[in-house]
Amino acid sequence: MQVNLDKTFPIAAPAGNAWQFLQDIPGVAGCMPGAEVTETIDDKNYKGRVKAKIGPATMAFNGDIEIQGVDSEKRELHLIGRGQDTKGSSSATMDLRAWVVEEADGQCALKGEAQVAVTGKAASLGGRMMTQVADQILNQFGKNFANNVVAMGQGADAEGAREELAEQPKEVNGLAFVWSVIVGMLRSLFGHKKADSH
Amino acid sequence: MAARAEDINREDALQGIGCSRKRKEDPRFVQGKGNYVDDIKLPGMLFADLVRSPYPHARVKSINKEKALALPGVHAVLTAEDLKPLNLHWMPTLAGDVQAVLADEKVHMQYQEVAVVIADDRYIAADAVDLVEVEYEPLPVLVDAHKALDPDAPILREDLQDKDNVGQGPRRHPNHIFTWEVGDKEATTRAFDTAEVTVKEEMYYPRVHPSPLETCGCVASFDKVNEHLTVYITSQAPHVVRTVVTLISGIPESKVRIVSPDIGGGFGNKVGVYPGYVTAIVASIVLGRPVKWVEDRMEHLSTTAWARDYWMTGELAADKDGRVKGLRVNVLADHGAFNSHAQPTKWPAGFFSIVTSSYDIPAAQVKVDGVYTNKSPGGVAYRCSFRVTEAIYLIERMMDVLAQKLGIDKAEIRRRNFVKPEQFPYKTALDWELDSGDYHTALDKVLAAVDYQGLRKEQEEKRAKGELMGIGLVTFTEIVGAGPSKSCDILGVGMFDSAEIRVHPTGSVMARMGTITQGQGHQTTYAQIIASELGLSSDQIQIEEGDTDTAPYGLGTYGSRSTPVGGAATAVAARKIRAKAQKIAAHLLEVDENDVEWDIDRFKVKGVPGQEKTMKEIAWAAYNNVPEGMEMGLEAVDYYDPPNFTYPFGTYLCVVDIDKYTGQTHVRRFYALDDCGTRINPMIIDGQIHGGLNEGFAVAMGQELPYDAEGNLLGNTFMDYFIPTFVETPHWETDYTVTPSPHHPLGAKGVAESPHVGSIPCFTAAIVDAFAHLGVTHMDMPHSAYRVWQKLHELGLDKHS
Repeated sequence: MQVNLDKTFPIAAPAGNAWQFLQDIPGVAGCMPGAEVTETIDDKNYKGRVKAKIGPATMAFNGDIEIQGVDSEKRELHLIGRGQDTKGSSSATMDLRAWVVEEADGQCALKGEAQVAVTGKAASLGGRMMTQVADQILNQFGKNFANNVVAMGQGADAEGAREELAEQPKEVNGLAFVWSVIVGMLRSLFGHKKADSH
Repeated sequence: MAARAEDINREDALQGIGCSRKRKEDPRFVQGKGNYVDDIKLPGMLFADLVRSPYPHARVKSINKEKALALPGVHAVLTAEDLKPLNLHWMPTLAGDVQAVLADEKVHMQYQEVAVVIADDRYIAADAVDLVEVEYEPLPVLVDAHKALDPDAPILREDLQDKDNVGQGPRRHPNHIFTWEVGDKEATTRAFDTAEVTVKEEMYYPRVHPSPLETCGCVASFDKVNEHLTVYITSQAPHVVRTVVTLISGIPESKVRIVSPDIGGGFGNKVGVYPGYVTAIVASIVLGRPVKWVEDRMEHLSTTAWARDYWMTGELAADKDGRVKGLRVNVLADHGAFNSHAQPTKWPAGFFSIVTSSYDIPAAQVKVDGVYTNKSPGGVAYRCSFRVTEAIYLIERMMDVLAQKLGIDKAEIRRRNFVKPEQFPYKTALDWELDSGDYHTALDKVLAAVDYQGLRKEQEEKRAKGELMGIGLVTFTEIVGAGPSKSCDILGVGMFDSAEIRVHPTGSVMARMGTITQGQGHQTTYAQIIASELGLSSDQIQIEEGDTDTAPYGLGTYGSRSTPVGGAATAVAARKIRAKAQKIAAHLLEVDENDVEWDIDRFKVKGVPGQEKTMKEIAWAAYNNVPEGMEMGLEAVDYYDPPNFTYPFGTYLCVVDIDKYTGQTHVRRFYALDDCGTRINPMIIDGQIHGGLNEGFAVAMGQELPYDAEGNLLGNTFMDYFIPTFVETPHWETDYTVTPSPHHPLGAKGVAESPHVGSIPCFTAAIVDAFAHLGVTHMDMPHSAYRVWQKLHELGLDKHS
């Protein structure tokens, strides 16, 4: 089960700040709901953990993050994450390319392309939900990422971003998430598909 | 000669052959008092659960058991390393291959067994499974059977790399299992070269799973003091399991007891031996305590035997009148990770060569290639006799394709090609000898019953209005009752079956068979055979099966073989008893043996009314007053090796209406006429046909075990896997003709699989027929509303005009 995701998150902050934050792997990982870097092996290799609770099911993935490339000129990061759930019944990989583009008025955007593949029970049971779940997780990620970058600055906006970050739950949790997944599914049924799965 | 009322009364009292006797199994089932494997509780029993691979193809780098072993209540965690010293990490399959019991360095499919945990209860075992840490190195995955033999395909079975033969002939690629070719290639080529018309169609028969109500499981109990192993197991072939256990464990067969208790359906799924059974047995031997293993539904659908996954190409050569001159079939068979296809050992594609079916086809040729993929292993007969369903699907589809090409009615083209009644016994181009049949009568009866002409007229009118109505017609011949030991064996054991009958002094009977009922109603029907043969009431006859310590050796129940083989053994054993009874009767009546004759339930002196001895009186005498020189007692055993298979047949007709905006198919009518020869219990036959039609409907309309390109199994829960209930199931109409088998002692042929074999192509035929006027010749299963809608959409039929 593989999905390709293609995302753009606008950020009300300068591109330089966004690029600076993008290179902070533990910081970026922290933007992913329920994810954290547990060990920094060197500047290319990290160990991490992702925990997601959806309804009665909790899935915890332990894995490795490997930085494939950092291109300062293009402000682009390429990483591969591989993980296996702690119960040994599923595994997931993500090949992610993320880059920062400058926009007008001193603003910027984070763009990302990811291929996410899931095997095992997660694919058998969650396959039909996967595009929507991945989409929602990434949306939360984008919001957190933008807040982190904005929080690097000064003023009311930065203050607001810091407050929002402090309130952010540490894992994907609860009904609100399920609701947003369902809304996403309905939108994709009746609207245009944002992500292709095959 | 009109039977006298008194004779009829005596005959009815027996409840013998032909009586719709109520099933003797039902009182315990409807009261919830059946005794299934999971009901068995032994003192000190432990529970097994399996660690399974999330990867379809990967190297196992390491397995860390420490955390699992540290969990209180866990007794053992076993891996291939632990089984190696016992040489039990691999086991033989029924098809000449080997299968990993626990993954030996590599996993070849998703959900493959990697380690087994033994714990105090089922819950602790499941928790401990989560704690076993397995490190995998993923390998490239092979899912598409068409790519299996590519030069650069990933090599799956490294354990077989040096072998140019895995038990079923030469192979030409590491992922190749066998090529099986039958028929006269030259004659077939000639038929095609000189044909006035030829047709060709490709079709895929999806991977489906029988999914019986009860999943697989066992309780293994090894007595360390007496070195005696008892295994309660969900098996359709307990005696074969005992032989396999002995072959792989070295424990003498006399110290192995296999018991198949009540079984909640088998349909072919419970013929093979699965890794879970072996691990439970090993664990019991190692720990000296009983160990229970029962799989859950997801494990069941993911790893135990499924059916089909055949990519088939059919070709017919015919003249302009639709008379078939030649048949050519090529099949690519996806057998998954291990060749554990359950079948008579010498038949790598089962009895697929029954593909000429009811038709007089002078030349035919079949080629089947089997390949490995990273999918679950197997290929069983799902409610059919070894690949017969695939064969009938192909020929019935091809007859329709030919009819459409020539513009001949689909009933008429069949009539023109039928083997005629006077041609029986009929030798087919692929070397089967059809025992008996009357196909024209069966077809005419069905066409008259449904007013076929009227239906065709209605269809024409509907088509004119832009509505979609389809009529499916199938006239099949099955091959069941495997089988003659000269052509059929399982691991070298001939496919006979057996019955042992004992008549007690008071005239009650205990009989044991080598078969095992899983819903077929043997306890009811075998008793009816004995009742008719011995003239004793079937209510006084007890039938026991499934315990290898008490039952005579038999090959089990699958492939509709119980009545053709086990039923024949029962009749022959009973006749041996009657022959002895005749001598005793003559002795008691003080006449010559040849002066008495059999009459329903007694022997009479010919021409002397009133001089008679009932079977009950004879039974009593057998234990105190027998002729001089005769041994006491009244019992017999028969091991019946059938001289031929039996060939039940039928005509099925299905009428569907298709909603052109949703693709929803409504089965308006389904008419099934079966001819299974002599009918032992008409009510049970009807029940079997209803069940088979339901399963046929399930397969045709929704069942599928699909894999994605990465090797993930996507259909292994009941969220996805279609099990029709009362809500979806159409109404069934059944009918019959009786053409007895000339070689079976009772003339009976077996019936339970015909409805599955016959109905599946009938549903497809009906749906395709709804589109036939638009040039559609075939649509692959499953015919879910979505897939039918895709065809409607492609043809632009779903638009409002």
